Amino acid sequence: MRELVEFLARALVEDPDSVEVAEVEENGDLVLEVTVGPDDLGRLIGKGGRVANAIRTVAKAASAGSDRRVLVEFIED
Amino acid sequence: MSTNGAVDLPDEPAGRVQAILERVVEELGVEARIEVDEGDEEIVGRIEGDDVGLLIGRRGQTIDAVQLLCYRAAFRGRQDRKRVVVDAAGYRERRREAIERQADRAAERSLKTGKEIELEPMSPTERRVVHQHLKDRAGVETFSEGEEPERCVIVAPLLRD
Repeated sequence: MRELVEFLARALVEDPDSVEVAEVEENGDLVLEVTVGPDDLGRLIGKGGRVANAIRTVAKAASAGSDRRVLVEFIED
Repeated sequence: MSTNGAVDLPDEPAGRVQAILERVVEELGVEARIEVDEGDEEIVGRIEGDDVGLLIGRRGQTIDAVQLLCYRAAFRGRQDRKRVVVDAAGYRERRREAIERQADRAAERSLKTGKEIELEPMSPTERRVVHQHLKDRAGVETFSEGEEPERCVIVAPLLRD
């Protein structure tokens, strides 16, 4: 799951090497914290959060069958 | 092919669409073939398999998300953009036909009752299908209301004097 989100994030930004994804366990949920440079944060979030939500939707589909929720958060480096 | 996130993507858009579809299909555990064709105005990625329901998702939300990500990743930093369409097992055509049937029913009801009929929430592309389908229909007009992702088309009777 972390690898998928990292792959998608790297595909969307200008500086793929700045992308880092950390896995955090929170109240039984899996939280993926995507850290990216300030210039690329907007590319990952998109207008009205459209791109961020698309990443979340794909992550959710990839976690179907698992009993853990997957949350994806975007953080500026 | 490496399985971590640090995979180098190809430079050209169609190759990038192919790489993203391959990765997503693999992660979703869907058994499928992928074919990407590039035309003058659009890049079409077709996914063919017996069990692509998970990839399509409820109301197509997963395939629409994949389509948006493919578009953004394919043309990142480029000006020479084209439309990107991602389809699975003929979903786009089936969905278009279903939307046109809904539009027809709404137009009939609107004319019969003289009331505005609200369709289910749709993506911008799907709303365009409704507007296009009903644009020459006598007696009704269409417009969109609400905020994404709940924005939907209203089919309304034209006021007569």
